[in-house]
Amino acid sequence: MVRTIDVAKHFTDAKRGVVKAVDGVTMEAMPGSIVGLLGVNGAGKTTLLRILSTVIKPTHGRAEIAGHDVATHPELVRANIGFMSNSTALYGRLTAREMLEYFGGLYGLRKVELKKNLDEVIDRLQIGPFADGLCDKLSTGQKQRVSIARTILHNPPVLFFDEPTAGLDVVTSQTVMEFIEGARDAGKTVVYCTHIMSEVERLCDQVYVINEGRIMGVGSVQDLKHQTSEQSLEKAFLRLVRYQSEGLEAVKA
Amino acid sequence: MFRDKRVRSSVFFGPLFLMVLISFLVGSVVSNLGKPENQKLHVVRSDNPLVERLRNNRFNVIEIPSVVEGERLIRKGEARVVLQFEEAPSGSGQQTTTAYFDPKHQLSEVALGMVSRVFQEENRKSLKTVLDQKGIPETAIEPIKLSRKEVVVGEKGGAGAFIVGMLPYLIVIWAFFGGMSIVSDLVAGEKEKNTLETLLITPVKRTQIVFGKFVALSVICLLSSLSSVVGIIAVGALSLPGAGELFKGGTGITPTSFLIILAVLLPTVAFFASILLAISTYAKNPREAQSHLGLVNFLVLTPAVASQFIGLTDAANAMWVNFVPVLNTSNNIRTALLGKPDLLAVFVTIVVSTVPALIALWVAVWLFNREQVLTRV
Repeated sequence: MVRTIDVAKHFTDAKRGVVKAVDGVTMEAMPGSIVGLLGVNGAGKTTLLRILSTVIKPTHGRAEIAGHDVATHPELVRANIGFMSNSTALYGRLTAREMLEYFGGLYGLRKVELKKNLDEVIDRLQIGPFADGLCDKLSTGQKQRVSIARTILHNPPVLFFDEPTAGLDVVTSQTVMEFIEGARDAGKTVVYCTHIMSEVERLCDQVYVINEGRIMGVGSVQDLKHQTSEQSLEKAFLRLVRYQSEGLEAVKA
Repeated sequence: MFRDKRVRSSVFFGPLFLMVLISFLVGSVVSNLGKPENQKLHVVRSDNPLVERLRNNRFNVIEIPSVVEGERLIRKGEARVVLQFEEAPSGSGQQTTTAYFDPKHQLSEVALGMVSRVFQEENRKSLKTVLDQKGIPETAIEPIKLSRKEVVVGEKGGAGAFIVGMLPYLIVIWAFFGGMSIVSDLVAGEKEKNTLETLLITPVKRTQIVFGKFVALSVICLLSSLSSVVGIIAVGALSLPGAGELFKGGTGITPTSFLIILAVLLPTVAFFASILLAISTYAKNPREAQSHLGLVNFLVLTPAVASQFIGLTDAANAMWVNFVPVLNTSNNIRTALLGKPDLLAVFVTIVVSTVPALIALWVAVWLFNREQVLTRV
């Protein structure tokens, strides 16, 4: 389970002054569901995921993953999460198998458990034919599968996806989305960041529309359409985002 | 780690190849310089028997028509020494030979020195003949004799001048350059490739990650450094062409000297690895890291270069040297190779080198734990 209460992340920038990358976000994601974070580039989605994955600390508020506070027990949080982005971020000079073994070690898997999990993910994601090839030599689709394998190798209950299909071809995107659906069906808590409406409509049980660091709307896809009286998610999204812009303009005026 | 070509070349091939190459080149130059046949001697045409003596001494004698021509060749850099023999001995019976040379040309000085030794030997033979004829003992012309006796200091088998001059410098330099060649990828490169975040979201603590990187980098620095030692031992053992002249005094590497080298090198390696790691952590990307490393280079190179000359001064034995990082390491390696290590100096060096190593490591860990630094991309 993922829960945030009034989480904020403010940076001080020499040129822009105080930047509110995330500004008072409260959200919740339950096991067996996919929660979407929908926003334009720079909306604060990735910053929020970085807070949840303990890469950065919140400047305000509280966030819990699987019952552990991200600020006070980051190691326990990290043991319970898997994180995947569109950047596969593999070590090019390791083979796929070596890389998975390496990360299995970092996740604290013991030898027997590591071998069992490794065999399982290699089989499930059909990595076998290229498991002993250097990651640098793999195709984009193969790299993405290895990246998925790394994300689930330690069988975490919570999974974060940050625009995992960006730059991927249709077939590979399909593989990724099928995997995410499978994770939800297996009872995982999934937080899915994207700006692609069709993916949200297909995958997400609950959507948080985020803009300029703030939550602008919450609900299922149908709820968002209903709230905005729009026929499509895209228009609903735009309306929610524009509301904020107009509101800000009014404040500035 | 060793799948990376840069690691292989900086740890093994670079130091080994460079040591063999330097030994071969310096050895070739030194041995060739000492051979008379490699000394071109321009002689103004003469029937003087000394010309034949020089030829018999295997000098490469080249006859020229006049002194004017000889001076022209010297100015053009085509002649090192031009000899002009007087036609007849003076009233005292002394035969004067004039040597024209360029004092700024090192090879001229070398050739002149070798010619002087031939003339001294001829003079000694003539003197002996005269003394024998008059029944005067040879010792009469040398009422005061300087007798030279070498005192063995430290272990026997201390290294020759070449090793003592070069090896301390190379050992220290390779410890730095070995790590420098790969460090920009270690953190800055991981930031750029986004692999760092995949490490940061594992349950491993950040301090453990940075220590892991520190240990890996230290191993690279140490292996690079030791490869240069292995290179010297290999050149000495294999008697490569041209290297014989350089290893007359041995390599100076004994079990004792090796242990001392290792003892003073370890904290220095830790110091270098920490500095390099801190820079790589701070930099946004490998290019920024490389530009910072260029500046740090000077801080390390300056004391290392000074170590090449310190043996020519009294400072080599001064205690203050042991308080200067890098220079203290080189100087203790030098004394170890000479077979006369100073254990107090070694101890001070280890302590003094450990302090900046710990400070630099603390800085690296501190930087690695700052999210503003880690998320700089």
